[in-house]
Amino acid sequence: MSRLIDGRELQPPEPLELTLNALDTLAEGEELTLLLYCQPHPLFSVLRQNGYVWTEALQADGTHEIRIRKTPPV
Amino acid sequence: MHPNLSFEQAPPFSVPMRFFVAAPWFGVVAGLLLAYIGGEVVSSRWTGEVLALTHLLGAGFLLHAMCGALLQFVPVAAGGNVWRPRMVAGVVQPLLGFGALMLAGGFFLAKPALLAGAATALLLGIVGFSAVMALALWRTPATGSTMLALRLAVIGLLVTGGLGATLAEGIARGWSLPFPALTDVHLVWALGGWALMLLAGVSYYVVPMFQLTPPYPAWAMRLFGPALFVLVLAWSGVQLIAGAEFLRRGVGVAGLLLAALFALLTLSVQARRRRRLIDATFLLFRLAMASLLCVAGLGLLMILVPVVGEDGRSGATLGILIFVGVFASAINGMLYKIVPFIAWLHLQRLGAPLTAMPNMKNIIPATAMTGQMRLHTLATGLLVLLPWLPALAVIAGLAFAASSAWLGGNLIGAVRRYAMFRDRIRAAGAYRES
Repeated sequence: MSRLIDGRELQPPEPLELTLNALDTLAEGEELTLLLYCQPHPLFSVLRQNGYVWTEALQADGTHEIRIRKTPPV
Repeated sequence: MHPNLSFEQAPPFSVPMRFFVAAPWFGVVAGLLLAYIGGEVVSSRWTGEVLALTHLLGAGFLLHAMCGALLQFVPVAAGGNVWRPRMVAGVVQPLLGFGALMLAGGFFLAKPALLAGAATALLLGIVGFSAVMALALWRTPATGSTMLALRLAVIGLLVTGGLGATLAEGIARGWSLPFPALTDVHLVWALGGWALMLLAGVSYYVVPMFQLTPPYPAWAMRLFGPALFVLVLAWSGVQLIAGAEFLRRGVGVAGLLLAALFALLTLSVQARRRRRLIDATFLLFRLAMASLLCVAGLGLLMILVPVVGEDGRSGATLGILIFVGVFASAINGMLYKIVPFIAWLHLQRLGAPLTAMPNMKNIIPATAMTGQMRLHTLATGLLVLLPWLPALAVIAGLAFAASSAWLGGNLIGAVRRYAMFRDRIRAAGAYRES
């Protein structure tokens, strides 16, 4: 399953608010994709501290595509 | 709230805010001082009164706001860890504050002891601040044009502080130094190597983020910082070589064209923003970039047409456009986005229930920002006319003092609202950090 948040036309802190709300209900194996025009370092701190992994890809139009998952249990 | 999430310790809200809240009051003092001394003196940049005014703005207003912005920006936008931020802010801000006041007092009252004290305080503050920021900036894994610009800006700040302290000590102790040439080098490092470099680096990040514009072109972001740094270095070199007038003019023209390029690119991305929101930040940034274009135009005229360049009023207009039109406007606009955002971020980190979270737009009311922006624009216009109409000194000085006080009041209001919501969250029992 995958969920998408397009934060490119939202003013801060709306993208972060939506992402934090989505993380609250993100299930094991589910993926959350966030689209932004900047690197969300405050979000990365939250992800790092709370057991999420993410990949980041920069698209040609300057969009940062961030794909977030829960770290699988070891 | 987000019960399953923990939030990394960021610099406390008070760390950048003590710089931000202090900054506008130097503008208030500068405006009142201008109203007191009158407009006849501004056409010579070498009078004690004018040096007091420029350093109240440069070492007071602008330096405070820019140091506060870096302290917040490096952890939040660049992922850098600032070493003991509360202690650093607690030491650096008073040093810069007292240093700027002593420096202005030393120039205005022609008191060598005040100049020597100011040189020590400002140098200690700047070296301490630069060392801590350099450590954070060189250790962060973040890369890219913003990071490069921030690193170059910190070098620019160090050189500015070193040269400034040398000049102030030199005046205080009667050293024999090439004062006019060294002053020009100090000025170009302050305005180009530090202030414009930092403005560009921060703009790459916050203009698209807060004004919903497309990103700056990648080639321009890669080019601007290094090119500006090389030109500032080259300017310093040719300034100290006797008889290098042609080279000096060439480097000056290149620097002004580069500044104009940055202004045009910012206006261009603003024009292509994805949501047509017009707010105080957007308009203040437009004012800053229009002022930067005027700086480039007037600067080129001064280089290419000797009669314009030799007129003290041209230099005074240029200085007012740079200090007030470009940097005070851009900082004013950025503060209206950065302060509500960091207030929101810190309240979020407390683990606030959603019902206790304020709307970010209510941290500083839009009407207060718009009103202050209009007064700042009026004050900028009056100040730009001042060298040509010295009788405007009282009204221009008072308008700038009032605008700065209004900005200060808006920022204090933001701190009060933050404290109110923080107390509500604590009362709700969801409190996480001290």
